Amino acid sequence: MKKFKKVLAAILASSVVLSFAACGSKDNSSGATTSSQTSTSTAAATTSATAEKDPETGLPMMADRNNPITFKVFLRDPGQAPSKDNPVLKKITELTGVTMEFEFLVGDLQQKIGVMLAGGDYPDVVFGEGAKFVDAGAAIPIEDKILNYPNLKRHYEKFMDKMKAGFGDGHAYTIENYNAYENDPPIFQNGGAGFFMQKAVIEESGYKIPKTVDEYFQMIEDYKAKHPDIDGVKTIGFEVLSDGWRDFCLRNPAMHLLGSGNEGDVIVDQNSFTASLYQITDTAKAWYKKLNDEYHKGIIEAETFTQNYDQYIARLSSGAVLGTFDQYWNFQKADDTLKAAKKFNRTYIAVPIANPGVKDNFIDPPAAITGTGGLLITKNCKNVDRLLAYYDYLLNREVQDYLAWGVEGKDWVKVGTNGRKLTDERRDIMRDTAKKREMTGDTLWQYTPKMQGMYDDGTPCDPGASKEEYMAALSEYDQNFLKALNVEFPAGILSEPVKRADYYPVWSFPIEDGSPAKVANTRFIDVCRKYDPQLILAKPADYDALWDKFVKEVEAANPQPYLDEVNRQIKEKMDAAKK
Amino acid sequence: MEQKSVVLQTKTIQTNKRLKRVKEYKQQIPLFIMVIPCMILTFIFCYYPLSGWIMAFQNFRPAKGYWHSKFVGFDQFTFMFNDPVFWRTFKNTIGMSIMNLVFGFVFAIGFALLLNEIRSIGFKRVVQTASYLPHFLSWVIVCSLISNILSTYDGTLNNLLMGLGLIDKPVLWLGEQKYFWWIVAFSHVWKEVGWNSIIYIAAMSSIDTELYEACEIDGGNRYRKMWHVTLPGIRPTIVVLLIMNLGWLLNAGFEVQYLFGRGLVMDVSETIDIYVLKYGITLGNYSLGTAAGIFKSVISIALVSISNYISGKLDENSVF
Repeated sequence: MKKFKKVLAAILASSVVLSFAACGSKDNSSGATTSSQTSTSTAAATTSATAEKDPETGLPMMADRNNPITFKVFLRDPGQAPSKDNPVLKKITELTGVTMEFEFLVGDLQQKIGVMLAGGDYPDVVFGEGAKFVDAGAAIPIEDKILNYPNLKRHYEKFMDKMKAGFGDGHAYTIENYNAYENDPPIFQNGGAGFFMQKAVIEESGYKIPKTVDEYFQMIEDYKAKHPDIDGVKTIGFEVLSDGWRDFCLRNPAMHLLGSGNEGDVIVDQNSFTASLYQITDTAKAWYKKLNDEYHKGIIEAETFTQNYDQYIARLSSGAVLGTFDQYWNFQKADDTLKAAKKFNRTYIAVPIANPGVKDNFIDPPAAITGTGGLLITKNCKNVDRLLAYYDYLLNREVQDYLAWGVEGKDWVKVGTNGRKLTDERRDIMRDTAKKREMTGDTLWQYTPKMQGMYDDGTPCDPGASKEEYMAALSEYDQNFLKALNVEFPAGILSEPVKRADYYPVWSFPIEDGSPAKVANTRFIDVCRKYDPQLILAKPADYDALWDKFVKEVEAANPQPYLDEVNRQIKEKMDAAKK
Repeated sequence: MEQKSVVLQTKTIQTNKRLKRVKEYKQQIPLFIMVIPCMILTFIFCYYPLSGWIMAFQNFRPAKGYWHSKFVGFDQFTFMFNDPVFWRTFKNTIGMSIMNLVFGFVFAIGFALLLNEIRSIGFKRVVQTASYLPHFLSWVIVCSLISNILSTYDGTLNNLLMGLGLIDKPVLWLGEQKYFWWIVAFSHVWKEVGWNSIIYIAAMSSIDTELYEACEIDGGNRYRKMWHVTLPGIRPTIVVLLIMNLGWLLNAGFEVQYLFGRGLVMDVSETIDIYVLKYGITLGNYSLGTAAGIFKSVISIALVSISNYISGKLDENSVF
């Protein structure tokens, strides 16, 4: 044991020395010729590495797999890291020598990152709030580096302009691990913002699809009147989540009613490309007035403004909530719980609500890379080249298949020539969060660069993009439900996605900390946060007076510096795209 | 001549004194050495971090560090003192703190007095243990308990009041500004009353039993005994605790306000600590956060000194 420790220490020490040496050589290579030389040598190293194959899985192996290294990765999402016994991650570590240590978010993201930056104490890789790290000088530009690796180059070259435009200084800092599609995947359902409705409500109304706010609430009212309880729980008509940063459920609906995509705190005129506040438009006034009516009718419980996220999820999971405005990923947990409980008629579907005469615009077309989201390599990274070589390795198609699909025959089977679906056992594993974490490579796949969408030959890159898998996973209830609605997928009842302008979306814009724009943004959002619930709970007679007060307060909070900054960045990004 | 000898004498006395002091110091060298580690620790953990206060006078950016950030003098303080949001948080802090202090003291002392009167030792112990257990619960748990109790949706309190016919419609306790401070104060009481009373119970147990006998002989009943013996007996404890707590007046707590703070009650729930968190850490304006922190420390030191001075005047019971 002691001897083993000594050996381990020796290996560790040598790896540290090696990585220092690597850093040293990198610093010296200032001239263009030297850097191109290093690039060819690393590229050569990776190709030679892929020559050897693992006998068990047939996957390629990396040359320096016997030289272990651990990278720490901070993730913006709450969750749980897979255990060390996960067979898939173990295998990848065995083949590459690289261990990824994932640190999931606990508590508030902004605070966590604020503390990290104040202390200069950040891990090798960060996923989330890239702008703050770039602003603090903690990020490494990667635009030249990733082109040295064949798979990374092939995968990201086509997005490079967008990636370089992200932070406004001409450098790319983040390796986008989501939405960098090979070819666009089919859209099955609205995974983002939308007005969601319980399928039972639609079923009961004779499969009528609501198109306006009035129709939406009328259907909810009718259903609630007929079913005051659902499975012994009092029926709740509509939920408005108002907890912390998730209160977009409270603040954003007017934006979507106006027919805008999900921009964030402003809407942007698609002809003049200028931003304005939707929070104080007539649409917003009418929306909160409608909610005010519904509150007084008992469709909305006042409690919705004081409950926290977990309580909200618990409510939705009970199956007693008829409608909510939310983003699907934000309440997917509840939807999954309902599915697991086989209450398929209590799950949700996004309906096309917009102002009369306005086309709904909920679904983003695929390939919406923001240029600011993704994996950011920090200055503290132990060995940037090794990390990129690892990412490059993961982008091999065999490795991607292994992570996203598993083993053919055991985990998935072919359908037709290029179609694929999971086996029943694997599907059950994927539906169980704990099993998915411990038995598949899902966590690693999620938080590393990956192939998404469809390969050129029409094979889906992952189960999420597979039509065959989607159909196979549908419950009988859902199959009949879709048949009755006469659509192939739930997304069929929403309008086709329209191509977004090059700047889209505003919420991804980096706003510098402590700048007047940031302060203005915080201030006017705080006003909305304060007044929106008050408007809903106000006595109907007081509504107009309160609305006027609200508009005055928003103006007093002086949102102009924020609008100016947004307009500046829209122009910058549009100009960059024109080049 | 005589004068000279006097001068000489005083001189020798002075040198003697000095020698004596040096000797004393020498004798105490081992003690000094023993103190050094503590002083180093105190320096590292209490004084060295204060160097970060320099941020408050800069426009601090993490990318530039202390050395290269721009000095802006008192700009951060000027911004803060002109910021209505800051004064709102200041008012909330003081308000909630005073309520916590008053209710905390009244309930803890009252509880200790009542418990002290219980004759059955077993029962007393059970009650005491049960009452201080909530102290060990995290605020997150306490807050979710409280929000369940106060819920409009099958919440205990609303059900009770409706059952008694006192209200005809559930009250959204956590969404009304006028109730917020009371909810915070009573949450603190519920969680901390048992714990805070321990020290009073300890103080009561050290009161001389002869005093009670004397009171009984003078014809005092139980209430008299409480009033004339027990309370004066624990007066020094009360005063010392009060002084120590006054220094914490600007710490109205953070968790409850943070966990219950929704848009509806934002105006009354945000404390200075939340202001520091929001502007300092979340919005990355570290300088402003530090300035607010300094302001808080200065006021706290002033409060401790003042209350110590007053209690010294009143009662010889000052802490330092």
